[in-house]
Amino acid sequence: MNPILVLGGGPAGLSAAAELAALGAEALLVEREAYLGGNPKRWHYSLLAPDLRPAEEILGPLLGRVEGSPKVERRLSTTLTKSERLEKGFRVTLKTADTVETREVSAVVLATGFDHFDSRRKFEYGYGRYPDVIDFKELEGMIHDDKVVRPSDGRAPKRIAWILCVGSRDIQVGNPWCCRLGCVVSIKQAVEIRQKHPEIDAWVYYMDIRTYGLWEDLYWKSMQEYGVKFIRGRIGQVTLAEGGAQLLATGEDTILSRPTEVPFDMIVLASGMEPGTGTKEAAGLFGLPVGPEGFLTPRLSDMNPVDSGSPGVYFAGAATGPKAIPDAVTEGMGAALRAFQYARE
Amino acid sequence: MSIVAHLPRRVLSLTEEEAASPPVMELTGRRRATSEERTVAETIYAEFRADPRHREFVLGCLNCGECTTGCPAARFYDFSPREMLQIAQNGDATTLWDAMQEKIWACCQCYTCNMRCRFGNDIAGIISVMRELSVIHGLESTRKVLAPFGRSLTLLMTVGTQVSSDMIQPDFFRDWGPFATGSDKVWDVGTDVMRRAIPSDVLHTTRSSWEVSVQTSLELFRIYEETGVLDMLRGLDPDLTEMLVDIIEERREEFEEARDRFRTELAGMHGPVATFMG
Amino acid sequence: MLSASEIRKVVEERTQRQKGTGKKVVDVREEMEHLEAKGEIIIHRIRPENRPVSASTLFGWTKRIPTDRLWHHKSCGQCGNIPGYPASLLWLMNETGRSYLNEPHQTSCTAWNYHGTATSNPVALAAVAARNFHRAYETDHFPLIHCGTSYGDYKEMRKLLVENATVRTKVRDVLRGMGRELVLPEEIVHYSEWVHAMTPELLARQKHSVRGIVATVHEPCHYYKMVPEDAVYDENVYAGQRPAVPSGILMSLGATVADYSTWYDCCGFGFRHILSEREFSRSFANLRKIRPMVDEAHSDVAITSDTGCVTTLDKSQWIGKAHGQPYMLPVLADVQFAALALGAHPYKIAQVHWHAASAEALMTKMGIDWSTAKAEFREYLKALKNGQAPELLHPAHPEIETYFAVNKGQVLPEEAPATAPAEIVANGGGGHPR
Repeated sequence: MNPILVLGGGPAGLSAAAELAALGAEALLVEREAYLGGNPKRWHYSLLAPDLRPAEEILGPLLGRVEGSPKVERRLSTTLTKSERLEKGFRVTLKTADTVETREVSAVVLATGFDHFDSRRKFEYGYGRYPDVIDFKELEGMIHDDKVVRPSDGRAPKRIAWILCVGSRDIQVGNPWCCRLGCVVSIKQAVEIRQKHPEIDAWVYYMDIRTYGLWEDLYWKSMQEYGVKFIRGRIGQVTLAEGGAQLLATGEDTILSRPTEVPFDMIVLASGMEPGTGTKEAAGLFGLPVGPEGFLTPRLSDMNPVDSGSPGVYFAGAATGPKAIPDAVTEGMGAALRAFQYARE
Repeated sequence: MSIVAHLPRRVLSLTEEEAASPPVMELTGRRRATSEERTVAETIYAEFRADPRHREFVLGCLNCGECTTGCPAARFYDFSPREMLQIAQNGDATTLWDAMQEKIWACCQCYTCNMRCRFGNDIAGIISVMRELSVIHGLESTRKVLAPFGRSLTLLMTVGTQVSSDMIQPDFFRDWGPFATGSDKVWDVGTDVMRRAIPSDVLHTTRSSWEVSVQTSLELFRIYEETGVLDMLRGLDPDLTEMLVDIIEERREEFEEARDRFRTELAGMHGPVATFMG
Repeated sequence: MLSASEIRKVVEERTQRQKGTGKKVVDVREEMEHLEAKGEIIIHRIRPENRPVSASTLFGWTKRIPTDRLWHHKSCGQCGNIPGYPASLLWLMNETGRSYLNEPHQTSCTAWNYHGTATSNPVALAAVAARNFHRAYETDHFPLIHCGTSYGDYKEMRKLLVENATVRTKVRDVLRGMGRELVLPEEIVHYSEWVHAMTPELLARQKHSVRGIVATVHEPCHYYKMVPEDAVYDENVYAGQRPAVPSGILMSLGATVADYSTWYDCCGFGFRHILSEREFSRSFANLRKIRPMVDEAHSDVAITSDTGCVTTLDKSQWIGKAHGQPYMLPVLADVQFAALALGAHPYKIAQVHWHAASAEALMTKMGIDWSTAKAEFREYLKALKNGQAPELLHPAHPEIETYFAVNKGQVLPEEAPATAPAEIVANGGGGHPR
């Protein structure tokens, strides 16, 4: 049996590769970047929801299972440039900076993931112009390293605002869907900062809080135990506050129905999730349909969310839509199982 | 002589009937609609919901408030574009009627809300639809709001510009002109000379923003006649409308005379000059 | 600061995503081609004689800005109370040898009235737009729109005429009744886009340094909020995140363009408010714009590119004296500022005396000898009063045009009556070419 191709080395791809190895199959794990771990690794995610355990604690064992297994062939800094359907499986072309290689695989798991929304596209927030307007993925790294300071002057902020749904639920930037994680991650960040630095004031501006399921607990505790402030209303624009030393967040407090203008030392944008570059490329290489949002679409998103509908091709993780790590890991397992069954038939 | 100069300084006043039945105030300060008003309100509501623009402009609302964030009117009035959109989307005849009395006129039509709206609503546009209906139905409140516009409407309807330099006089728009600088008495030579000091003959006019040819005036008025604008205005202010018709009639005569005169002078005339309203 | 390629990616992505999600952002120019092929409209095309220069828009589209053979679509407000605005533009065109028509056969867009009083409707607005478009077309000059509201309105109306067959038919009938046809220009061009396209040529003629001048820009709402997709953005101006006009020309001339907290706010014009609710306009302009421009940004001048904005920001300040806020920050259109920097006469051309807030301190800072110019201007006024013919930037129109919109190709006899002879100060290729 030829190996099973797993495209993408984030949580979903790692989970699929580890599961295939456990099933006794050979996995060919291809990753565009020079490292495994996907977005969590790339942006140095700090604590992960729901249990607020460090990202390393979650990714570590997964990486260990993959890196320690002789059944998983890892190909880093490698992209897939061509795919050709065989009677059984595919012939694929793998490309690195200086090599091109053709391999035959018996099935494919696409775990190509998401990209964070590029917040520069939401012009009104001045991301890319004002250094102290940062993306929440950058704050993850700061929290991880315990260096929460203003990029402009290296000083500790006294008051931070989170703006939710940046690049999500917004037709003006073309992304009407919900990213599912912006709320919980932002609240988690506010809690982490308040835990370590109670002197920093944390404000969250929201239109809806979607800490669905058991994660609601975090939302409640953030107020009850950590004093995070929530204002119901979106910030419409960020400009320089008087004197230019601070940022002015202007919005409507939609509960009180009145304009609100608050100066902040730092503003954090909860950027949404978009289909990853690899997801878009994979759709083309395997001739798969994408939905209006650009994500891959399972044949039956309710009955079998890992089945592409194209024989031998399976999905896992954020390639089919915004997803949390536990869901991505679960889908990795499901896709591995289905791919294994197909390859063995 | 300026067209507007011989206009009376008109204030659109209440009719005798209206004056005899002043609005009823409730203790809350909110005016109770009369039964006649309720009928009008129902009609307006039906027309509002039936306007094809309603479906196109009002899509839905997440109540995020970004529209209100940049709204200039929201800072100074009891007004918010979010509220207006909610009324347009979910309001009934009474709430629509109430909003049309005063609130619709707070909007600055700057379109900041439209640019920001993450649902893609045309909020400034739907407010304009409400305003149009208030004009068409000649609401008392609308006539009061638009009372100061007699002069500019006359200009607009007859030559198609909005303000003229003869409006900017010490007793009117005092702070618009160079009077504001106090010591500079440049205007001592009079508006006419000041205008002739502008280096384009087309701007040497005081009664309009620029000189508008008679043909252009007539074409404009024809547009107003054929697109229902004149009828809208008639519902709001019949007297003003009749006066406009008279002014245009004079221009039409002027045009005919000139055509006779120039036809004798210009042998090769053709095109719109020869055919227009021929 | 973002690199050019990064910005390109950002805007392209934005366009693509918006297209993909069903929001109406189809390129109206493509639809126009289809309609023309079906014989429904005529496209007024930009030709080589218009010497177009390409610019980039918010959605990453290429917009061609014609720089020559232009039809001036004047603004009802600026011509009535800030005439230095159109005069400066005409002067810049003469200086750079651009030809144009500035004729009496134009109405305003009438959108000030619509947005102020609603005593009109979109069909009428579309018909007014189309009448002016056709007039420009028959003179074979490309329309150049002086006003932000006209620019926004004409883009809205062009879209309406393209997307709505009922309105199109109605407007076409109205036009035919007056011997005109439905013509839509290939691009709707704001004069500040012309300035943007002409920047290198303008810089080559700069006479006064503006280094050390701090300017604050008020971006006219209807320039970029009404129909955002084809407003001009440039990666070198605000990293492509705010419109390139009018800020770009100020930066190019060497002025410092300062940021301030209420950058996105409107000026307070309000269409209705500026005429009948002036307490609002005055309060808003002073508190939300002028005060931050002075107190936060310490600016020497406020620059904008729309009639209503100049009017509101300039003419609302005087009342500030009564409230202990005597800012009197000069407010100029970008073309007035540029004309001054290029050596235009401050009074005869830039006509700064029409403004309520004095620009004299600013001119001193720019190294302009305004007091001599002012004395000259006083003499000129006296001479005019005594019957001297006025100095003009372009030939006066013949008397027949007081009545008739004379057509392209019409044969005028040589003895056609003309107005009183005027001294022509036009140079280069400016003025009426026919």
